[in-house]
Amino acid sequence: MTEPMNQVEFRAALEQAIKGKSANKSPFSIAWASGKLTRAHLARWAENHYHYVGPFADYLAYVYARMPDTYTEAKDFLLSNMYEEEIGGDRHTDLLIRFAEACGTTRERVTNPDNMSPTTRGLQSWCYAVAMREDPIVAVAALVVGLESQVPSIYRRQTPTLRETYGFTDEEVEFFDLHIVSDEIHGERGYQIVLEHARTVEMQQRCLKICEIGAQMRLLYTNALYRDYVEAELPSAVLERAA
Amino acid sequence: MPTVVFHKQGQVHTGDVAANTNLVVRAGIRQFPFPHLAYGCGMGKCGKCACRVLRGSEHLPPPNWKERQRLAERIEDGYRLACQIWVTHDIELAQSGPVPPVRRIPMPQRETGGQGDVCHSDEQAGAVPDRSG
Repeated sequence: MTEPMNQVEFRAALEQAIKGKSANKSPFSIAWASGKLTRAHLARWAENHYHYVGPFADYLAYVYARMPDTYTEAKDFLLSNMYEEEIGGDRHTDLLIRFAEACGTTRERVTNPDNMSPTTRGLQSWCYAVAMREDPIVAVAALVVGLESQVPSIYRRQTPTLRETYGFTDEEVEFFDLHIVSDEIHGERGYQIVLEHARTVEMQQRCLKICEIGAQMRLLYTNALYRDYVEAELPSAVLERAA
Repeated sequence: MPTVVFHKQGQVHTGDVAANTNLVVRAGIRQFPFPHLAYGCGMGKCGKCACRVLRGSEHLPPPNWKERQRLAERIEDGYRLACQIWVTHDIELAQSGPVPPVRRIPMPQRETGGQGDVCHSDEQAGAVPDRSG
């Protein structure tokens, strides 16, 4: 390929890079959406998820610091994304902890890094590494397009089940509700930034590759949740019959 | 494709949006009703996106728990939180400033198609100014 893709082609390629490895396909997501998880399983999810999404503003802060000062729109987006995660309304991690407590675990267990699995630690480390080491536009492609933009579609599937099948209250699942709106904004603006600034063949290919890796990392994390906490009680054969 | 008519500070802005659109998401990604729609947290807490629905409320689901909590009796006056509603049909809304009353008024004529933003003054659009005080 000698010419860079136009924005329509590049967008389609980014979506394709993510699609093949969507976390919606993991057995943990399938078990969740089909109402097969217990509250104890969901508590383990929350204890892990906190360590993946909790430092999200930290990841973005590294990207912000390295984003060229002439990319004003991109910098403003990162700053508002950080603000919304932490102090725009309720702190997002507080809402995650509220859900975790409804699942029967505690704030202390959730915030204790000893309670995350090695795979979650790997995902967190990958996010930090990308934020600190990659070109900032490539990092936006990884963290925002590759990871954050997947969230609305995942939570749109999972949230009704939390209310209707698992019996959680509206307040208990607020963490999921808010991400359907905020991550749709963040994901789409992430796309806009990457489409605007990745204008060479080399940059576009790097963005595509890292989106693919980001989606793989999230799928790896979600698969590990199933393997580490669910599989013994809900073997995949049982899950396949239920799906 | 639903048409959104948006009243703000004496101006009327009109645009088409895809079905099942959240207007705060649209504004967040810098599309109509950006930059006219004020919004804040996107989570139903700050109330900055509160709008009075002038037309099309029959196509919206009942206010959810966040709207009931944040808007209280203003729900009776037709207020909704834009961040909590997904637009599926034509709708007419007003935000802040002189708010037109909740009553059936004719939809202003659109001047262009597509998802552009067409702006009129309220007077041009035939909207009734707020006299409720």
